[in-house]
Amino acid sequence: MAGRVPSALYDGQTARRHVVGVEVGQGALVLHHADGRVEHWPFERLRRISAHADGRTFTLALHSETGDEVPRDPARLVVSDAGLAEAIRRAAPTLGRHDLPRGAIRRVMVGTVAALGAVALILFVIVPMLAATIAERMPRETEIAFGRSVVAQVEGFLAEDDAPLACEGAAGRAALDRMAARLTAGRTLDYDLRIAVFDHPMVNAFAAPGGHVILMRGLIEAAQGPDEVAGVLAHEIGHVEARDPTRLALRSAGSAGILSLLIGDMLGGAAVAVAAEYMLTAAYSREAEAAADAYALALLAEAGVGAGGLADFFARVAPKAGRMPEYLASHPGIAGRADRARAAVAAPTAPILSETEWSALRAICG
Amino acid sequence: MPTDAGSTVPGASDFTYSGRFGPILRLALVTGLITLLTVGIYRFWATARLRRYVWGSVRVGGDALEYTGTGLEKFVGFLFAVVVLALWLGAVQIVLFLFGVVIVADPRTEEEAITQALAFSASSLAQALALAASSLAVVPFVFFAQYRARRYKLARTRLRGIRFGMEPAAWGYVWRALGHGALTVVTLGLLLPRQTFALEAYMTNRSFFGDARFAQGGRWTALYRYLRHVGIGVAILIAGGVLTGVESGFGPFLMFVGYVSAFLGIVHYNVQSFGWLSRHKTLAGGVGFDARPSTRRVIWIGFQGGVLITILFAVLAVVFIAMIAGTFGGAMQGGGPPPVGALVVSVLGYLAAFVLTGALATALISQPILRHYIETCTITGIGALDGIVQRAHDRGADAEGFADALDMGGAF
Repeated sequence: MAGRVPSALYDGQTARRHVVGVEVGQGALVLHHADGRVEHWPFERLRRISAHADGRTFTLALHSETGDEVPRDPARLVVSDAGLAEAIRRAAPTLGRHDLPRGAIRRVMVGTVAALGAVALILFVIVPMLAATIAERMPRETEIAFGRSVVAQVEGFLAEDDAPLACEGAAGRAALDRMAARLTAGRTLDYDLRIAVFDHPMVNAFAAPGGHVILMRGLIEAAQGPDEVAGVLAHEIGHVEARDPTRLALRSAGSAGILSLLIGDMLGGAAVAVAAEYMLTAAYSREAEAAADAYALALLAEAGVGAGGLADFFARVAPKAGRMPEYLASHPGIAGRADRARAAVAAPTAPILSETEWSALRAICG
Repeated sequence: MPTDAGSTVPGASDFTYSGRFGPILRLALVTGLITLLTVGIYRFWATARLRRYVWGSVRVGGDALEYTGTGLEKFVGFLFAVVVLALWLGAVQIVLFLFGVVIVADPRTEEEAITQALAFSASSLAQALALAASSLAVVPFVFFAQYRARRYKLARTRLRGIRFGMEPAAWGYVWRALGHGALTVVTLGLLLPRQTFALEAYMTNRSFFGDARFAQGGRWTALYRYLRHVGIGVAILIAGGVLTGVESGFGPFLMFVGYVSAFLGIVHYNVQSFGWLSRHKTLAGGVGFDARPSTRRVIWIGFQGGVLITILFAVLAVVFIAMIAGTFGGAMQGGGPPPVGALVVSVLGYLAAFVLTGALATALISQPILRHYIETCTITGIGALDGIVQRAHDRGADAEGFADALDMGGAF
């Protein structure tokens, strides 16, 4: 490789093509301009921009902190002579290096943290706040109709052969109504209660928007007396009156779209989204649970029913939580709450249902 | 000997493409596999690597294009776009909820059923409505992303060391795209040429090479001639429908013919309107383009590639199933659940097929079509490029993040 090889140079200022004589010098590539000017491109700053189709020649630029997307000086030297290319490759060992712009790692870290923070803010602050605001303003009729479709959907899922799940035993129904009436006798509720028992072995109960409360047969069977059922019912009424189910539903809806967007079309994304969604919304907050407990205790006290029922039920559910995960999953911190309920046990009380009524309730599903 | 030679390079009026089947297939396979292993995170770097190869293979008057975008900035842009879209979609979902319509996923356990039922309402009509409303809410961002993506790609493309660029005007594009789109729908597609022309002109007239502006010339009515084949296809389709109505066995066949010709007509319109719009673009007043893509060639490349990939997969699937049956067949005889090994192998096979299809489509369809577009284009008045001066660096805004978040990437 002797002498100067004519090569095309674009100076990064204009699109005009300049031809310069290029030679491999001491520690630098030497560029001889037509007007006699001489440029030195140090070997350690030489970077290959793109390989040409022949796989041997390439275009060069100088490493430089320009503040651009890549730290490269805008000038380009097109090396189209294979011999010159080979000589440069030997002289400049850092030719193929990928340089990150200064501060790139820090920008990625900041970006990631900011994005995660923003998404957390949306999921855990903004969406719940919006949900709470809207739940306050939602028309009562919308809420009731919505609750009805929720109950219908749960029923459709739990039923094995599409038979209606709601238990219609007349005596049991009367006992249930009497229980609800005694519990709420002293109060005017915001919602007309729509209480139903589903013929299902799950030990569970839940409230749906618009005054719906569903008790599962399994829960009534697991209870050792009517006061325990009354305690759970009072607790769910507490959720209803606090509009917790509506708020939870709104919140889930808001989070669902965001999570599915975040996970995107990545493989298995849908499953992760569903799982995350479930973890996020399975339970009411501890505050909501505590408020519902307090409400239930007040209701029981006013009705002259022993709050011991609620306490007993919690106390019995807690140690067996492994075997009765349903109620526990949606009602966190049961053990501590049993103690609080027990502490609130008031003076002597009358059972909420007579023996006959209790038997009728237990037999409501026939 | 060295003198300023201006732009006198042999074949200076040609666009050439030097990308080859082997290298791009290898690149697409490797980046596809890494993307799979990183649950999708690598896709930004994969795009950057693929583009560096493709851009570098394009020569304009002897000089290669250069792609300077990085995977890093695309990743950061994506995070930004996700936050904006999350806020917007969250708000939309909650508003939708007020009307009692929400999307429902299939519950898997009893607990999930209750939770979801609490969260989601029921009827399928309501679901369809909600889905439509959610998609509609995203439409403005789709147009926004279209403009931003083009701007980003131009801002990261250089020729002769000089940057391309585009003015930041994405929202203006959104309103125009919504308006023209609505007009086209209302007129049953009759104003499609007007939409095509107006939107392309909006973007072209805001595009630059260095300090020189591109300009879109011509009148939109000229595009009607390329819509003719779609019209013929639709006419055959309608005739077939009428014949089917009067119980003729010939009707369904005619409908099929009409459907295929309408589809090919749309391809023809896309290819030829691109050519016409390119022929009527100018740069810096003096540089022009002559693009003559062939519809027949584009369709043939797509057809050929599709058939090849299908045959390959049919063969691979048969071999694969035979292998699984041979290895695990004994364990499955009893009618019990399939062994874990068979499941793992099947899933791996599925994922490998997924990556292979993408890579083959790039190498067998996307790149050859791109090559055809490039090699049927020539440039006139290239000497005018010499006076063009460098433009300032564009930060690139969201670096195509919205397009990535909305999953609307094109071939490259």
